[in-house]
Amino acid sequence: MKFSINGVAGSGEPQPGQCLRTFLRDQEHFEVKKGCDAGDCGACSVLVDGALVRSCLYPAVRADGAEITTVSGLGTPEDLHPMQQAFVDHFGFQCGFCTAGMIVAASTLDSTDDLPRRMKGNLCRCTGYRSVRQAIEAGVRGDPPRPAPGCGVGDSPNPPAARRVVTGTEPYTFDLAVPGSLHLRVLAAPHAHARIRSIDTSAAEAVPGVVLVLTHENTPQERYSTGRHEHREDDPDDTRMLDDVVRHVGQRVAAVVAESVAAAEAGCRALVVDYEVLPAVVDPEEARRPGAPLLHPDRTPADRVDEAGRNVVLAVHGGHGGDVDAALAASAHTVSGTWRTSRVSHAQLETHGAIGWLEDDGRLVLRASTQVPFLTRLELARLFGLPEDRVRVHTARVGGGFGGKQEIFAEDLVGWAVLRTGRPVSYELSRTDEFQRTSVRHPMRVGVTLGSTADGVLTAMKVDVLSDTGAYGNHSRGVLFHAIAESVSVYRCPVKHVDAEVVYTNTVPSGAFRGYGLGQVILGVESAMDELAIELGLDPFELRRRNVVRDGDPLLVAQHAEPEPDLVWGSYGLDQCLDLAEEALARGNGVEPPPGWRVGEGMALALITTVPPFGHVAHAAIHLEPDGTYRVDVGTVEFGNGSQTVFTQIVASTLNTTVDRIVLRVADTDAVAYDTGAFASAGTAVAGKALHGAALDLRAQILSRADGVLERDGVRTAAGLVPFAEIGPLTGTGAEFGEQRSLSSNVHAVRVAVRPETGEVRILQSVHAADAGTVMNPEQCRGQVEGGVAQGIGSALYEEVLIGEHGEVLNPVFRTYRVPQMADIPDTEVYFATTSDTLGPYGAKSMSESPYNPVAPAIGNAIRRALGARPYEQPFSRDRVWRLTQPRIMEP
Amino acid sequence: MRPFAYDRPDTAAAAVAAVADRPDAAFLGGGTNLVDHLRLGIADPGLLVDVTSLTSTEIVDIDGGLRIGAGVTNADLAADPRVRARLPVLAAALLSGASGQLRNMATTGGNPLQRTRCPYFQDPASACNKRVPGSGCAAIGGATRNHAILGASEHCIATHPSDMAVALAALDTQVRILGPDGGRTLAFTDLHRLPGDTPEQDTELAHGELITAIDVSYPRGRHAYRKVRDRASYAFALVSVAAVLDVVDGTVLDARIALGGVAHTPWRAVRAEDTLRGGPATEEAFAAAAEAELADARPQPGFDGGNAFKIPLARRTLTATLRQTTPRETA
Ligand SMILES: Cc1cc2nc3c(=O)[nH]c(=O)nc-3n(C[C@H](O)[C@H](O)[C@H](O)COP(=O)(O)OP(=O)(O)OC[C@H]3O[C@@H](n4cnc5c(N)ncnc54)[C@H](O)[C@@H]3O)c2cc1C
Ligand code: SF4
Ligand code: FES
Ligand code: FES
Repeated sequence: MKFSINGVAGSGEPQPGQCLRTFLRDQEHFEVKKGCDAGDCGACSVLVDGALVRSCLYPAVRADGAEITTVSGLGTPEDLHPMQQAFVDHFGFQCGFCTAGMIVAASTLDSTDDLPRRMKGNLCRCTGYRSVRQAIEAGVRGDPPRPAPGCGVGDSPNPPAARRVVTGTEPYTFDLAVPGSLHLRVLAAPHAHARIRSIDTSAAEAVPGVVLVLTHENTPQERYSTGRHEHREDDPDDTRMLDDVVRHVGQRVAAVVAESVAAAEAGCRALVVDYEVLPAVVDPEEARRPGAPLLHPDRTPADRVDEAGRNVVLAVHGGHGGDVDAALAASAHTVSGTWRTSRVSHAQLETHGAIGWLEDDGRLVLRASTQVPFLTRLELARLFGLPEDRVRVHTARVGGGFGGKQEIFAEDLVGWAVLRTGRPVSYELSRTDEFQRTSVRHPMRVGVTLGSTADGVLTAMKVDVLSDTGAYGNHSRGVLFHAIAESVSVYRCPVKHVDAEVVYTNTVPSGAFRGYGLGQVILGVESAMDELAIELGLDPFELRRRNVVRDGDPLLVAQHAEPEPDLVWGSYGLDQCLDLAEEALARGNGVEPPPGWRVGEGMALALITTVPPFGHVAHAAIHLEPDGTYRVDVGTVEFGNGSQTVFTQIVASTLNTTVDRIVLRVADTDAVAYDTGAFASAGTAVAGKALHGAALDLRAQILSRADGVLERDGVRTAAGLVPFAEIGPLTGTGAEFGEQRSLSSNVHAVRVAVRPETGEVRILQSVHAADAGTVMNPEQCRGQVEGGVAQGIGSALYEEVLIGEHGEVLNPVFRTYRVPQMADIPDTEVYFATTSDTLGPYGAKSMSESPYNPVAPAIGNAIRRALGARPYEQPFSRDRVWRLTQPRIMEP
Repeated sequence: MRPFAYDRPDTAAAAVAAVADRPDAAFLGGGTNLVDHLRLGIADPGLLVDVTSLTSTEIVDIDGGLRIGAGVTNADLAADPRVRARLPVLAAALLSGASGQLRNMATTGGNPLQRTRCPYFQDPASACNKRVPGSGCAAIGGATRNHAILGASEHCIATHPSDMAVALAALDTQVRILGPDGGRTLAFTDLHRLPGDTPEQDTELAHGELITAIDVSYPRGRHAYRKVRDRASYAFALVSVAAVLDVVDGTVLDARIALGGVAHTPWRAVRAEDTLRGGPATEEAFAAAAEAELADARPQPGFDGGNAFKIPLARRTLTATLRQTTPRETA
């Protein structure tokens, strides 16, 4: 058939059944993205003869004779379409994976009336939509381009990749044609718990195009964890690449590697697996009862599984300050409740995956969608028995992660298949694979009992947590430790006690997710604080002020009487956050509730350490070229967190240069010696600090060669300008080990309206105050806050991965798993405390995980005050809220 | 997704013959439902016969109404000035569903024939009588949020997901069909069927029967469409209501009402209509109509309290929609 793409005539025959999306990508139009392949997300939007369609559901044969326009046909980096310009100017993206489809859809608008409804077909997981909305409004109006922003600290320069992202020319993981690449697909387990008696691979191997079938019989059988940390001993060794025991529906059973995706899929269908079905347990409470089916009976504490005989990965029991029950009994007031949180999917738009190949010297190279290239390399080298320097892992731009890519979900199979076949291999997960086989937020049951004096001073605090890690323990220990850390230590209270356990169940594994467990326990603690405020008749802000830790206070978790030695108050901003949020809520925003709806206000706070405990390492190097270019090597990954922009600002500020003179190379195990990775909000606090060190080192070296003032083109000395050609080349290096940690704080406040007849919740005003230290890039930092808040609203009101009675995921697509749309997310007023951190570069702190944490409890508290009844189970969906309005069907 | 053959015959009759000949053939409209099902592995046709360019893509005037070609896209239909002016309930229903990109692709013939969004139906690993007759129904006692409260059977409790079909069910609508043995016309309310013990059959269409057009008459009265869903936009309805009420001097002369999200069919609310017809258009009458319609509603047990919440939700949504159609109150 014949067609034209972006004005260029072409011809070609689609495969039978091929959709336009993959057909366009086969023509190397990689700007056409995939978020779902099911019509739900809009990432694949293109114009066919001017009409906006989703190319993933559009049969390719229909494009015969058509003119197709993708985002790259609208404009180029040098000559942007007005809508593309507007997305640059208004920071209308973070990871940018939704942006191509978003801009194509927006380019068809002639008015911004009812924008949320018109844009309802385009999902964005990162931004929270405010910046997208403003960009579209500006694009439809045709605003002139914004004057070039400064690039110093405190300015808001655009991300270095901005013009490429909005034109679809910035490559992501799979936006690379690898000639001769094989394709890998995985057979998913149909049972929640089973032993594989045998796998007959003969029919699969006979499928034309199938090159290799992998099962537990021909893959490394050493155990590891998909979760990655600086110390591999943080996670239990309970996972095999391919195991002969299936522990959740959707677990990988075997992998087929073939010349085409269709052949690999046909190969998977041809596998014959004989299962011995075992009893399964899907309820975490049941899982730790005697007699429950055991998931990993042979693991021991040496594997970091505390009590395999009770399915318990980690148990933390302890307290300080005396007997908590006695202290509660002696308290003037006590409140108590049990909260439940749901499984939440990261729903980052770019699914997991990797492409691998061998270099000429036989070195294994993986291009992966990961937040942790260095940690992945270490573990794969270990698993494959290779020296570390025989494996290279790098990333392109990563289309969102939120913690879900601090895991190995594809790289192991791809790496092994490359080693076995000697050929390039590619494996891209589908959206349903994401739901069934990657990870979710740990669902938790959180019991909180608080005691206080008549004046509202806390006397005792008792926290009981049961966390469900699903079939594997990746991140479960770290998440549990973190969950019961700052949520408890933020309050001064003489007696604290915690009972916390995380258990295995035969369900999709839980893993790392923005907030890392804190949000779940904060829901319990902050809701209980709100109950206490109601009981005492005290303003909730006032109750917090009476009890929060103050500047310099020790931070005490329940299980230890001593604070952790590496924690320091680099700066204290919690007091300012409380004030800012309270004032903004009191000011209001003039939005009225619809008639008949009930209104309530709620708030909650959250504290978080800026760096994970036990170290987080980053190396950085800056090379000065004779022409005044600075080549910057940093290990950490850009996945929408904005770290590249901040790095540019740090270099530009310290070396007094401009953005066009800075060339970044990131996220490559070849770039620098080592980098722990982009997680735990460490981009600015750790990698940024290492880079700042490198910049200072280089600056000192330059000035030692020519004494004067460092300028863009050389050093201005008394004798005139000494050009860099006479100074360079030089290299400055820096390293940071995250030995000390500071604290960031966040306060969220909302006014909501609830419609008692239906349980519908509408957020009338949303306010967020954050202490990020020195705000390096205000626009970008605001975007991080808005994105975290949007995910918080999603968890609070809509999102829940449902598990059926046989352990299967019931809603493994975006149609039934509800990621918030533009219409669901109100604008949030964002305020920053003015503090300057003594640890971070330029006084900055991290701000990417923490905004999530206080949102759901603030909304729950507001619903409680609107209805007089409290929701205990997240999400606070319509029917749950409606049930609260019904007499006698109240929850515990 | 398995490979399949694709055919675009020259005439509708040839398309009908091509599908009728092969048990594993299917018509392809916009593909927004069918292509998705191919990918999910729950539809597996060996041959797809493209009918978008064979059925009419025109909307023509007929006596007292419109004839809508089966190939007309949902976007074009919702934008048609005659539809906006005289069938606002249909325009509103269309605009409340899917997204602009999808409406540009979805067709008038395909939309009413889209299949249920029951999560177990969509999961090839679950037991489902609709997908595999006799395999059981995993939804019963499971996640029943999106399931029926009216007309369900012990074999299937699924609901019909379309918004457009709810409006068409409320209106006076005829479906024009071409089959291997010639043409016939069916009232839209007779197109869909209750599950009974053959839930694998969604409709009364035989294999190979093609929808060529849909005829809709202009009703008298004021229109309203309401959809309650889990998100502010872009989700299938938990409950939806289409209503057209002809009220003169406070008396209901005629009422046309259908409910979505509650049954295996777009549910024509005959009892509510009967209760209202000839009576006053008052709040009490609306409540009584809703009461009557839902008198036989049965909740499905399941996770999280099952779907009992939908019965009062449907009652309230019905009352609120009726209120919206009466001139004295602007909603
Ligand atoms: C992300 C997403 C969100 C959606 N949200 C909504 C929503 O909120 N509300 C809503 O109502 N719908 C919604 N839909 C469904 C959408 O409206 C339907 O998929 C669409 O209307 C089906 O039309 P089609 O032409 O694409 O049908 P197809 O997918 O082509 O066909 C559907 C079925 O009808 C058959 N068929 C098609 N044309 C004919 C014909 N002329 N004669 C006989 N048989 C025929 C096909 O064989 C197939 O079995 C959504 C869909 C998606 C993907
Ligand atoms: S309700 Fe119907 S569609 Fe759903 S699982 Fe049961 S039989 Fe299948
Ligand atoms: S990839 Fe097409 S809509 Fe998501
Ligand atoms: S920027 Fe929209 S999904 Fe990442």
